[in-house]
Amino acid sequence: MISFFRVIKFAFQGFFRNFWLSLVTVTMMLMALFSTTLLIGIDYIKEATLEGVNKKVDILVSLKVDTDREDVELLATDLETMTEVKKVTIITPEENRVLYEQSNLDEQAKKVLEIFAPDENPFGFSLAVQANNLSQYDAILSFIGQDKYKNLVDNSDFNDFDTFVAKIENLSKVINKYSWYVILAFLLISIVVIFNTIRISIYSRKDEIQIMKLVGAGNWFVKMPFILESILYAVASVALLIVVVYPIINFIQPSLNAYFQDVNVINILEYFHSNFFRIFGLQFLVLALINILSTSIAIRKYLRI
Amino acid sequence: MIQVTNLFKKYGKSTQALKDVNFHIEPGEFVSIVGQSGSGKSTLIKIIIAEEKADKGQVVVGGWDITRIKEREIPTLRRQLGVIFQDYKLLSKKTVFENVAFAMQACGFKQKDITKTVHQMLALVGLKDKENRYPHQLSGGEQQRVAIARSLVHKPKLLVADEPTGNLDSINTREIIDLLKKINNLGTTIVLVTHNKDVVNGLKSRVITLDNGVLISDQSQGRYLL
Ligand SMILES: Nc1ncnc2c1ncn2[C@@H]1O[C@H](COP(=O)(O)OP(=O)(O)O)[C@@H](O)[C@H]1O
Ligand SMILES: [Mg+2]
Repeated sequence: MISFFRVIKFAFQGFFRNFWLSLVTVTMMLMALFSTTLLIGIDYIKEATLEGVNKKVDILVSLKVDTDREDVELLATDLETMTEVKKVTIITPEENRVLYEQSNLDEQAKKVLEIFAPDENPFGFSLAVQANNLSQYDAILSFIGQDKYKNLVDNSDFNDFDTFVAKIENLSKVINKYSWYVILAFLLISIVVIFNTIRISIYSRKDEIQIMKLVGAGNWFVKMPFILESILYAVASVALLIVVVYPIINFIQPSLNAYFQDVNVINILEYFHSNFFRIFGLQFLVLALINILSTSIAIRKYLRI
Repeated sequence: MIQVTNLFKKYGKSTQALKDVNFHIEPGEFVSIVGQSGSGKSTLIKIIIAEEKADKGQVVVGGWDITRIKEREIPTLRRQLGVIFQDYKLLSKKTVFENVAFAMQACGFKQKDITKTVHQMLALVGLKDKENRYPHQLSGGEQQRVAIARSLVHKPKLLVADEPTGNLDSINTREIIDLLKKINNLGTTIVLVTHNKDVVNGLKSRVITLDNGVLISDQSQGRYLL
């Protein structure tokens, strides 16, 4: 029990009395943690972006001009029974006209409307169909393409949409695959860097270790303070990480909002807040584990005296 | 106190550091080990404190045959010995007090006993007023006295010293040797490795001479031969 308190005391002494060494070690660890956190942040932004795109994407089904309101509602109900469909919105001919007038088409194109009287409407009903996720649009499209809807649906711009969805989906797959490689490579590099940092730090204190052994200290008594010290490195670097990360995400949040013109699409601040322990706690645990292991391995050969 | 029989030690393939060394040291003796650089003196000391292992032969320290000592028994052996070195081997990030206390903390002594004994030993070596300094704030002679204080805290029956005055001027050398004599008079067996002719001749005690790993002379009341 006395030894236990001594070991803790020695760990703190070692940490603070080798201040520069500790600082260098912690800085290296901070950089590794920062890279990992950056990846976590990028991964979140990617996910949120895809989700945001998904939310904004819908199929716009233009229906023939002479279609009745009942038939439109029937089709909408049919669509809503599909498990793939999240939401169906009916757009009336009047709304379509307003949308057309307010769209960013040039004046020339808008003049076309002038040949119709104000009470005449060249637009029919449309349905905006939203899927739960991007991969489901195919199923929805083929559902709409069924023969029984042929006389309702004016399906001219489906193809275009098809390729757009495919592109986004493909992009997301590529990003996912690629980010796994990057994360793996980063983790590996981080582990190697941390291991070597600890090795150098132990190496520079090998005389200390040998002296302790020569005056009769047991392996445990020499080793434990170094192990605890390596946990202190983890505590310090995660604390510094938090201090560094929050100002950065505070700084970039407005530009992320601007990108989607919407506060809620990418809320990285909220993401870090609600996953605080998952992000920082887990990194602490992993780092502490790597440190303990590295220290045990690095110190072994100097204890053999 | 120390019984060395037919001791051989080789480094690598070609360096025969000790060749068939035999001697016996009684409790309470003050023995000097002399010899030119590279003659195997440090190797002998390292085997006694289990820093190196013998190739052949037998080494018994304080009745304990340490020839095939297990790694986990080494701390126990070292806690029964006092060891001092040419380069003092103090912990640079610990104060004088902490350095001396460390040897006792490693053995699990209570803090109260540690404080008392450390003060006592620092008084013995004349460093009572410098216990809060760090090693780099001390002269070489003072650092060696700290090392001596540290080697004495667990009241060893045997003190081995490998060229303790090798880095010191003659005045400091004198002080350290006087201190060792005083410790010997209190009953501790001392094995002193040295290069210093004046020291050996001044001691007028037993001298063991090594040459190229071979024990070439062992005289009580000896003089520096080479
Ligand atoms: N760790 C070692 N590895 C290889 N050779 C060594 C080692 N230590 C000492 N030696 C060699 O063993 C011989 C005896 O060395 P040492 O015992 O240190 O002599 P001394 O202390 O008398 O100067 C020397 O030739 C030295 O070079
Ligand atoms: Mg030597």
